[in-house]
Amino acid sequence: MATEAQQIAQRVPGEKSSFPALVLLAGWLIPGAGHLLVGKWVRAALLFVSILGMYLVGIGLQGKIYSTSTGEILDLLGFAGQLGLGLLYVLARVMSWGASTVTIALGDYGTKFLVVGGLLNLIAAVDAHSLANGRKASA
Amino acid sequence: MLTHFSAVLLFSLFTSIVFGITQRAQPRMMIRFGAFCFAIFVGSTIVVSWLMYAVKH
Repeated sequence: MATEAQQIAQRVPGEKSSFPALVLLAGWLIPGAGHLLVGKWVRAALLFVSILGMYLVGIGLQGKIYSTSTGEILDLLGFAGQLGLGLLYVLARVMSWGASTVTIALGDYGTKFLVVGGLLNLIAAVDAHSLANGRKASA
Repeated sequence: MLTHFSAVLLFSLFTSIVFGITQRAQPRMMIRFGAFCFAIFVGSTIVVSWLMYAVKH
């Protein structure tokens, strides 16, 4: 029989809380921040290093930073993928890192690193959200 | 400057870490799944590379 204090501490299914949304937003803006908020600091550190590594390799290989200005569907898809990097994408745009067009073969690899890095960050943010709302078991 | 193969290794490593953490719930299973993904990424790259070599020659 749970005490009253335990009942208050337990998560009620369907309960409305802004915490999971905050975790999702933080995880998107800063890689690993969502896992840090739910207390999984080792996972947070590994995710941060991995996604930052994808980003740095992509920038280092002069990968293309997509924007919406061209209006082409493939560029929009690339933009959507890279937007998953959150603040790292904003940083690349502000600092004019990367390339506006791909001129070397490895630059194309860099573009893929940046797009996949963004998609992986979205997966990580959704995973942190699932941990926060109890949908994923917390081990 | 990265070689093509070292780029593959880095891509596989980072991607496998994220897959391992996000697709499994238990730490032991995360490590196993991450290692599995890494082996599949690198192994399939080597196999496809040799296939392309065989097609060309």
